[in-house]
Amino acid sequence: MPNASSPTGAARPAASSPTGARPTAVRVARTAGLLALVAVVLLFPSLAADPFILSVGVVILSYAVLATSWNLVGGFTGYISLGHAAYSGLGGYATALLILRTGMNPWLALLAGGLIVAAVAIPVGIASLRVRGASFVITSIALVLILQLTFQSWHTFTGGSNGLRVPRPFGTEVLRPEQHERFFYLHAGLLALALLTWWLIERSRLGAGLKAIREDEDKAQALGVPTFAYKLTALVVSAFFTALGGGLYALWFGYLDPIFQFSILVGTYMVLMSLLGGVRSLFGPLLGAVVVGYAVEVFKSQYGDTQLHLVATGVLLGLVVLFMPDGVIPALTSFVNRRRGAASIREVSAEELAQQREEAAR
Amino acid sequence: MSTPTHHSTTHSLSTTGLTKSFGGVRAVDDASVTFHEGEINALIGPNGSGKTTFFNCVTGMIRPDSGTVSYQGRDVTGLPPHRIARSGIGRSFQLCRIFPRLTVLENVLVAVQPHGLLQRLRGSRNAADVGRARELLARVGIDHLEHAEARDISYGQQKLLELAGVLMGDPHTIMLDEPAGGVNPALVDRIADLVRELNAEGRTFIIVEHNMELVMGLSDHVVVFDRGRPIAQGTPAVVQDDPLVLEAYLGV
Repeated sequence: MPNASSPTGAARPAASSPTGARPTAVRVARTAGLLALVAVVLLFPSLAADPFILSVGVVILSYAVLATSWNLVGGFTGYISLGHAAYSGLGGYATALLILRTGMNPWLALLAGGLIVAAVAIPVGIASLRVRGASFVITSIALVLILQLTFQSWHTFTGGSNGLRVPRPFGTEVLRPEQHERFFYLHAGLLALALLTWWLIERSRLGAGLKAIREDEDKAQALGVPTFAYKLTALVVSAFFTALGGGLYALWFGYLDPIFQFSILVGTYMVLMSLLGGVRSLFGPLLGAVVVGYAVEVFKSQYGDTQLHLVATGVLLGLVVLFMPDGVIPALTSFVNRRRGAASIREVSAEELAQQREEAAR
Repeated sequence: MSTPTHHSTTHSLSTTGLTKSFGGVRAVDDASVTFHEGEINALIGPNGSGKTTFFNCVTGMIRPDSGTVSYQGRDVTGLPPHRIARSGIGRSFQLCRIFPRLTVLENVLVAVQPHGLLQRLRGSRNAADVGRARELLARVGIDHLEHAEARDISYGQQKLLELAGVLMGDPHTIMLDEPAGGVNPALVDRIADLVRELNAEGRTFIIVEHNMELVMGLSDHVVVFDRGRPIAQGTPAVVQDDPLVLEAYLGV
């Protein structure tokens, strides 16, 4: 064990890594992967065979936005909200009602809707983030059920169970395929924003505190992390993006029904997609959304309006939890690492450490 | 190594009438304790005498039913744990608590939580923070493990990691709950050396410990707990001969 009574590590450059060439290779692979992803998204509308495929693409991107937004609170803090449809549903209704009742510009209404929902999330968070574990899950479900009942019964304001028709932002002269394409890119842009936000938080001190909360909340607090404020921040940011996702979807779909807007199923999908891809990974929820979203659409088109897609989703979740509890991305990463022969603990050998020290001393 | 400062009458951390009950059990019962500033204080007592509950009341993990905790002349009773941590009291946990799925380096970086939104949004892996974290990991002797996940290192190393994390917050007073519990004798010596070094830098220690050899060899001031309250205090030599202490421990 190195006896370092006089600390020698101070002068070492922060970015230095013990394994030499590895980071550059990883960085190149990451950049290439990211560029490939961007290319696929940008080219998808021109490659899509027909408007139906393109509309499936919009649905999948919408799920990706919701799951990534969910992961801003679920992945960082470990607080599993099954009722996140509350925020997407409210986002959709806020956007639609602002357009219908005040004649606001649709895009402005979308943004205002997001802000309103973020504001709503503050008292909700203050109340619900006091409890942990299963209790938090139950409060999140309660919220979405309360909203469903309210929006179903409040006919004069929300249109009740008849639903609400949302005016199309691009007007009727823009044809369907064109609509799909525009909304595909809009969703892609929103997804990029949500991913960027996740990435920025992940690197920050706030992110370090949030991840500590996920691991051991009491311990985090004992180290000086203002846990309550951090959890609330994560929830509000998450609600904001979830609401934008719900609002954008409403503008595309053109119709809101409280049964589907405030459904437990939508919230469950967000959780499933995130878990499937990996809640600790930036692109985990996106990957989960592609897999689950595609599977759901295939099942719906193959077997019609049955509940089979729910069974399939359940089986999928079971398999993931059994064999890849951390999700697909971490499972693949560790598989690749094992193939490369990298040790699971990257321990620095005595020589490497001596070398580093020497460099630092120079 | 440690220089007992006999003239230290400024009391940095003290409690008055601290009481906490769980159901019908008074875990901490009207405890008034004054710890000596700049010294290594030990808190000993039989199992179930309320030491850990006392710790938790002082550090805000549990809200006491009554009584006060004051630190550096300020009433800190009932403040949330992160506020107490920031006021300069760092603590470790019994049985050692680390963040298992974070790397060793990330574990230490968690403790950097300054005020202000912009400060908090700053990258956690900035050169200054990482440099200081590495310095502390080197100091406790586990800098070669910085990229390992904390769950993969040995229990002894986790104890050292927990200490490094506490030190990252630069606390003036450090409360350790059984630092020698479950670790091998060589590591006990190492932890004792670290405590002496850190004390020589001016940090006050309050240590709950069952290893009597360690307590008697390390501490300047010993507080003995029994049934939720202090029954004796003084230098190790004085406490060792106290009839009340012998009774509490041996039942004679």
